[in-house]
Amino acid sequence: MAVPVNAPASPVRRVSARHFVRLKLRVMGNNFRGQGWRVALFIIGSLFGLWFAVGAFFGLAAPGLAGDDRYAMLVAAFGGGLAVLGWLLLPLVFFGVDETLDPARFALLPLTRRTLVTGLFAAALVSVPTVAVLLALSGLVVTAGVFGGWPAALVAAVGVISGLLLCVAAARAVTSAFATMLRSRRVRDLAAVLLAVAAALLGPLQIAGLAAIQDANWDRLAGVATVVGWTPFGAPWTAGLDVAQGRAWAAPLKLLITAVTIAALLAWWSRSLESAMVGAASAGPARAKPELTGGAVARLFPRAAGWLRRDQFGALVAREARYWWRDARRRANLITIAVVGLFVPVMVNLGGRGFTIDSEQGFNPLGETSPVLVSLSMLFVGLLAALTLANQFGFDGSAYAANVVAGVPGRLELRARMTAFSLYVLPILAVVAVVVALVLGEPAWIGFMAGTLVGTYGAGLAVNSFVSVLGAYSLPETSNPFAMNSGAGVAKSLLTLVAMLATAAGAVPMVIAAALLGDAWLWLGLPLGVAYGVGAALLGAHLAGDVLDRRQPELLATVTPRR
Amino acid sequence: MISGSLAGWWERRSGPDTVGDMTGEHPALALRGLAKRFDSKIAVAGVDLDVPAGSFYGLLGPNGAGKTTTLSMAVGLLRPDAGSAWALGRDVWADPVGAKQLLGVMPDGVRLFDRLSGAELLAYHGLLRGMDPAVVDQRAAELLDVLALADAGRTLVVDYSAGMKKKIGLACALLHGPRLLVLDEPFEAVDPVSAALIRDILQRYVAGGGTVVFSSHVMEVVQRLCSHVAILADGTIKRVGTLAQVRGDRSLEEVFVEVVGGRTATGEELAWLSR
Repeated sequence: MAVPVNAPASPVRRVSARHFVRLKLRVMGNNFRGQGWRVALFIIGSLFGLWFAVGAFFGLAAPGLAGDDRYAMLVAAFGGGLAVLGWLLLPLVFFGVDETLDPARFALLPLTRRTLVTGLFAAALVSVPTVAVLLALSGLVVTAGVFGGWPAALVAAVGVISGLLLCVAAARAVTSAFATMLRSRRVRDLAAVLLAVAAALLGPLQIAGLAAIQDANWDRLAGVATVVGWTPFGAPWTAGLDVAQGRAWAAPLKLLITAVTIAALLAWWSRSLESAMVGAASAGPARAKPELTGGAVARLFPRAAGWLRRDQFGALVAREARYWWRDARRRANLITIAVVGLFVPVMVNLGGRGFTIDSEQGFNPLGETSPVLVSLSMLFVGLLAALTLANQFGFDGSAYAANVVAGVPGRLELRARMTAFSLYVLPILAVVAVVVALVLGEPAWIGFMAGTLVGTYGAGLAVNSFVSVLGAYSLPETSNPFAMNSGAGVAKSLLTLVAMLATAAGAVPMVIAAALLGDAWLWLGLPLGVAYGVGAALLGAHLAGDVLDRRQPELLATVTPRR
Repeated sequence: MISGSLAGWWERRSGPDTVGDMTGEHPALALRGLAKRFDSKIAVAGVDLDVPAGSFYGLLGPNGAGKTTTLSMAVGLLRPDAGSAWALGRDVWADPVGAKQLLGVMPDGVRLFDRLSGAELLAYHGLLRGMDPAVVDQRAAELLDVLALADAGRTLVVDYSAGMKKKIGLACALLHGPRLLVLDEPFEAVDPVSAALIRDILQRYVAGGGTVVFSSHVMEVVQRLCSHVAILADGTIKRVGTLAQVRGDRSLEEVFVEVVGGRTATGEELAWLSR
């Protein structure tokens, strides 16, 4: 009674990063409670991470262990740079970020932004991938220690740790900013711009890539490594080597570069965090559009799906087609397919050609092996496109209840989902085939390239129908399209792996055909590939549809987020 | 409140959706021994319930009593560990397609396909139920009009207010003219104006021969609307019967608190709340 109302009953204790870390560990622990399979997946994932980490550790420590100091700088700059690049891109493309601690949950607590960012950052560091990468990159410490003794090893250790901080900060900042952008309607335009930029970059990249690879020699690469060493991508990893190689003055500068980059990334993250915390807010003012015309049914069907009959199947396709564009999470996947689909084949094939030139002394590199290489890269793109459907029911979440209540037959459901997704993907694949063929200067290959793409894509649809029915998992209902539940990470990676292997196996006939049929494949590729793809997809929907019929309620339960 | 424009298309045997003459012979909804366990917690421990056709049935219970779990098992959204459910004489778990055609369902705590606008969502539900597009257009326009959602136009359902979401959910459940409506918490988070509108529509639906089962923990609404009441607590039915039988000469709230076993604050605790 004696306590005045406006003073807290006990002195306020400062909230530090420690609390966030403990909270994260507690949440992770509670997620495991009573879920044996989650613990098992976590252990399997950790073992995979460990295995990978040990392999990379020896790779990075190799120059030191071999006592060959020529390649040390090369390995440090490129190996470390790849790690940063991986942390930047992999969450966007494949894995998402762990949002065990969703920033929105902290919106009501009296925390300063600085406390929040530091806390979330510290919590983000507590994860299997960070431990694995730390282990792997400590190989650099060994190398630096061999050449420069204790002082160099010490600097290298500081560098590796700060480099890891940089990786995590970069991943968080980029996904958070990208998520904020994807929430706005302007991203429709942004997606178009991205694609245009990607296409425009192909020309110069081709020339630069060819030139670099043709003139490839160690001196030149070492020069590149030195330059990379002065960018944030390489600075933290090479500081230790600089000490070892007698450029001690460079080490503090490089560590400074790292520190400034981390600070900038955290500031950037902190800004986008604010908008994540206040929620989806407004998606921007709706653009003035022509008056609504037509009945409800006419409004449901987008123009691209206008040819469909107005029945169950049509409604499912129309709704899915709308969702692929309106749901930020799905749209992000479409953009990924388009960008990766254009970049990877061009990179792989230009690279492959370059090596052929090198080994054959300027001979015409286009022997009979090249269609196989092109087929393989097309296979990868088709596989990636179909992989997007691996958790197609997870995208819906509890909204899938509407289809369960209406008793939609499983085969119809799966066929409709494939059709709607293909409305977007087939045009993308066609563009990929045409652009890649033109960039490679082989317009005659368009046919079999498109055939391989569609064939693989169809086989992938079949495989992913099963994966989506049997291996669905719930996605958190946040506005961040890259967020996923903790514990789902390992499961997701394993499922992705299984789906990719199965799809690749399903697409093997396309590669064998490319190898065996020779020139005839150029003409037969398109019809055979399309027939194979459509047949596989229909068969997949037929078989997986039966499974879906039997386990609709269970599927609904797995995709409904736990609250 | 409701204009005559709602042409009474859900009235008994008036539309193309009415299924034969089976509806009079069976209870609208019959549950036998439904049970569900989540991990170590028993959510529903054997529920028997008969909902007579044409009744306005209230399922009462405190939070966590198992109302949502029971209704989900009754309509085919959640597979029961034991027991069975019949909707208008069809076994929900043995003949799901047949039973689901006769049902209109509004689940709680489940999202709608909320990145569609109201009209698009109705069209989706209508076509999913195998309705004729022209009929869908006409009924969707009427429903949007009556529920005062027509102004929302192009707004996506995700941007609707809580009350508007309940109303569009109700519209989706009503669209195909089902004989049995199962509504989970239809009056939760709804403002008084919308609540009155929903009440009117449901009363009219029952007057037209339909059956409504809904869950709630708002005594006042149940007392005003229901012909029958069941009180559910700790996963079992504690009281069941017509409203008059259950409440006797007391108020429904008194019966409810007594059955559920609540406590009242004595004033000794929480002293720091008062100066």
